Amino acid sequence: MNGLAAALLVWTLISPSGGGHGGRGDMWPTHVACRNEGLEVFYQSCDPLQDFGFSVDQCSRKLQPHLSIRFGIILREDIRELFLDVLLLSKGASVLNFSYPICEDDLPKFSFCGRRKGEQVYYAGPVDNSSFDVPEGEYQVLLKLYNENHSTVACANVTVIAS
Amino acid sequence: MIPPRSLAGTLIPAMAFLSCLRPESWEPCVEVEPNVTYQCMELNLSKIPNSIPSSAKNLDLSFNPLKCIDSHSFSSFPELEVLDLSRCEIQTIEDDAYEGLHNLSTLILTGNPIQSLGTGAFHGLSSLRTLVAVETKLASLGNFPIEHLTSLEKLNVAHNLIHSFKLPEYFSNLPNLKHLDLSSNEIQNIFNMDLEALHKMPLLNLSLDLSLNPIDFIQPGAFKEIRLHELTLRSNFHNKSAMKTCIQGLAGLEVHRLVLGEFKNERNVEMVDKSVLEELCNLTIEEFQLAYIDNLARDVTDLLSCLANVSAMSLVSLNLNRVEEISTGFNWQSLELVKCQFKQFPKIVLPSLKRFTCIANKDLDSFGELKAPRLEHLDLSGNDLSFKSCCSHYHFGTTSLKYLDLSFNGAITMTANFMGLEQLEYLDFQYSTLNRINEFSVFLSLSKLHYLDISYTKIQVAFHGIFNGLVSLQILKMAGNSFEDNLLPDIFTNMRNLTYLDLSKCQLEQVSEKAFDALPELKFLNMSHNNLFLLDELAYKPLYSLEILDCSFNSIKSSRGQELQHFPSNLTINLTQNVLACTCEHQHFLQWIKDQRRSLVEVEKLVCATPSDLQGLPALSFRNDTCQIKKTIIGVSVLSALVVSVIVFLVYKFYFHLMLFAGCKKYGRGESTYDAFVIYSSQDEDWVRNELVKNLEEGVPPFQLCLHYRDFIPGVAIAANIIQEGFHKSRKVIVVVSQHFIQSRWCIFEYEIAQTWQFLSSHAGIIFIVLQKVEKSLLRKQVELYRLLSRNTYLEWEDSILGRHIFWRRLRKALMDGKLWSPEATADAGNNQQEATTCI
Repeated sequence: MNGLAAALLVWTLISPSGGGHGGRGDMWPTHVACRNEGLEVFYQSCDPLQDFGFSVDQCSRKLQPHLSIRFGIILREDIRELFLDVLLLSKGASVLNFSYPICEDDLPKFSFCGRRKGEQVYYAGPVDNSSFDVPEGEYQVLLKLYNENHSTVACANVTVIAS
Repeated sequence: MIPPRSLAGTLIPAMAFLSCLRPESWEPCVEVEPNVTYQCMELNLSKIPNSIPSSAKNLDLSFNPLKCIDSHSFSSFPELEVLDLSRCEIQTIEDDAYEGLHNLSTLILTGNPIQSLGTGAFHGLSSLRTLVAVETKLASLGNFPIEHLTSLEKLNVAHNLIHSFKLPEYFSNLPNLKHLDLSSNEIQNIFNMDLEALHKMPLLNLSLDLSLNPIDFIQPGAFKEIRLHELTLRSNFHNKSAMKTCIQGLAGLEVHRLVLGEFKNERNVEMVDKSVLEELCNLTIEEFQLAYIDNLARDVTDLLSCLANVSAMSLVSLNLNRVEEISTGFNWQSLELVKCQFKQFPKIVLPSLKRFTCIANKDLDSFGELKAPRLEHLDLSGNDLSFKSCCSHYHFGTTSLKYLDLSFNGAITMTANFMGLEQLEYLDFQYSTLNRINEFSVFLSLSKLHYLDISYTKIQVAFHGIFNGLVSLQILKMAGNSFEDNLLPDIFTNMRNLTYLDLSKCQLEQVSEKAFDALPELKFLNMSHNNLFLLDELAYKPLYSLEILDCSFNSIKSSRGQELQHFPSNLTINLTQNVLACTCEHQHFLQWIKDQRRSLVEVEKLVCATPSDLQGLPALSFRNDTCQIKKTIIGVSVLSALVVSVIVFLVYKFYFHLMLFAGCKKYGRGESTYDAFVIYSSQDEDWVRNELVKNLEEGVPPFQLCLHYRDFIPGVAIAANIIQEGFHKSRKVIVVVSQHFIQSRWCIFEYEIAQTWQFLSSHAGIIFIVLQKVEKSLLRKQVELYRLLSRNTYLEWEDSILGRHIFWRRLRKALMDGKLWSPEATADAGNNQQEATTCI
């Protein structure tokens, strides 16, 4: 039921006709990915074409391994191949920067790999993360998903506040 | 007169009509390729824009609320080849909607909630090869009106609501069908009758994807005597027994490639063991892949016993960390082990193996035993392997190796020069660390190698024979390494077949002049991201075949010399992101940039780095005439300085001539006959005659002196002569002071008269010339003279060239002082009588 509600939330968020379509050119609204005592995660889409839905199930400064996330989007590009770039900034300085393949053409790892432009993707499942404690502070994370043609599939400015 | 109401009645509908006309159709699409490709994605169009030319071949109308495709909607675009209608909220496609699109090869209908699809919806699409109807709420293939699409090769109906796998009769009309994607549908059961169409019309090249369907049951015999190219079954079964039953149901299938497994996020089968996979014994399989199974039974050799005779085995993302040996009984020619979580390298003894791939096992740090004498292709990339000694046939158990990939591994220490591996054609070490490569010619025996990648292998090239032996090499990638002294030495000898060379990010500062001497076939040279500060055209001169030279991201200010003619005409050069110096000093280089603008990549992005006032401006905007102006300025100023100095010199030299002739005026002596009366001792007469008279009377301007031996009138008393001829008729008096002068009574007398005279005529007129130093004691005798000499400026005779010159100038100047300017004065000067006196 919880998942269904989340899906509904995601759907209303990403539906192109719903929720006022005047977003292009303006900034997309800031959403809460998770909020708990000690940890708040906000995000804002930095793709001029669309907003998307994202949430993290557990929200704790002590990050558990294999975090469960939900992610919903309507694809503007085919994702035969999909890559994720992560840039972590603390006080404006780059702390971590890596690129990670999510979908590879000959070895589709996830069920959404190979989906087509115009198709809806809803992913609810774990991510490969190791457990660690988030040190106190405010962090900016720039996430960018792009396909084999380097076309942006999704882009987010995430703010993490650990207190 | 029209009544206002009726006027409003006409205007309002007219305006409404116009306002209806105005919107979407005017909305401009993006012209990607003129007259061919148009991109109209997400423009809120509710109908097909008529501004697109009829010659368009590719049209993207995705994400527009078209809602309905009427018949003959696209008749004005007969040339269309690709039509994208993704997520256009299309609910209805009428009959003959695409009529006239005889050339259309790809139709994309993804994400449309199609409710009404006319039986003739796809009429006229006689060339359609690809039809994408993903997420279109399609409930059954039977109702999908594609029976006449005889040229169809690819049908993608994934992510729909299809329950039945029943392939309709019309499949026998689709002889070209190669791909049928039915993934993410709702197929639960597959019955015998479902594949009947394939019995009638075998589609031997058909690849069928049934992944992500919740298949419970496949009726045994359903696939009997069916031949497929590929069958993909991933994340289909909710548990192990369903999997077993369904694989059982596949019995009799002959498939070139079978893919079985799950997705990482869709894992349901708790355990795959031998009982499941032994059902595969009833299938004929050429190539097999097992992917993303979470939990696999312990003994993989036992597990895959039914697959011993497949030619290609691929195991992807399985937990095989307990597998120690893969040998006996398998006749695989190709084995692929990807992300299999090996902790140690399994022993591989496979006599039939030709191709072995073991990649992306992050915990694998040492290579194990490999016995595969026929192995030609070995890919060990992306592990954490370290080799304490490398490389010879002992390490890889084969002498047939043609392809070796050891990239993205740990440290590899070179100890052998590929003994027994002379057949190698492809060798990749990128991002591994290569040790001891400078100690000997590592690649000496690889005369067949045509591809070598040693990028980012932490080499500092010091040994010039590093590439000896690579006579067939065509492609050499060595980015991200470094060179001794940051100088590219002469290391590419005997590589006459090299066509591609990547030297980017090598911290290079200079290129040795002979570095590229022996590379006549080189077509592509990447020198980007180095620290080169000059474009050294002489080094690139021997590269006759060069087509692309990338020197971007360097510190290039200009070229080495002025001559840039050596580059071949078809060469493309990239000089972006350098620090071009836009100064007149490098004018030739900047002019060369302008001349070569067609050969330079993004020439408009070449910007000046220096000087500061041109910083950030395009190098093309540098104007040569600024240099010409500067040159002119410099030239003119030098010339004028020269002229001025010549004039000054001339004025100085001919000062007295000028005084004479300026304005055609002459000066005269006025009332006086003589310019000066000379008082001197007869002892000094030689000097007076040879120096004074000669210089003053024969020089310019000529002065008339009163000299006693010449100008005194005989028969008149000396005193009278002195007064009458000397003082009376002369403007000035020159006193030649010397030892003799002081001692001479007459001279003192003359001097005293002169003083009196000066006093009486009240103008300063006595010029002292000290011919020789006079002893002070003597001079003191003449108290008056002594006082004068110590107070007044006097001329001192000095017998040197400079001293004389100064002396005469000063004297002339002093004599000219007080002269009257009169044009006719000189005329009668000669007629005047001349007088002088003598001091005896």
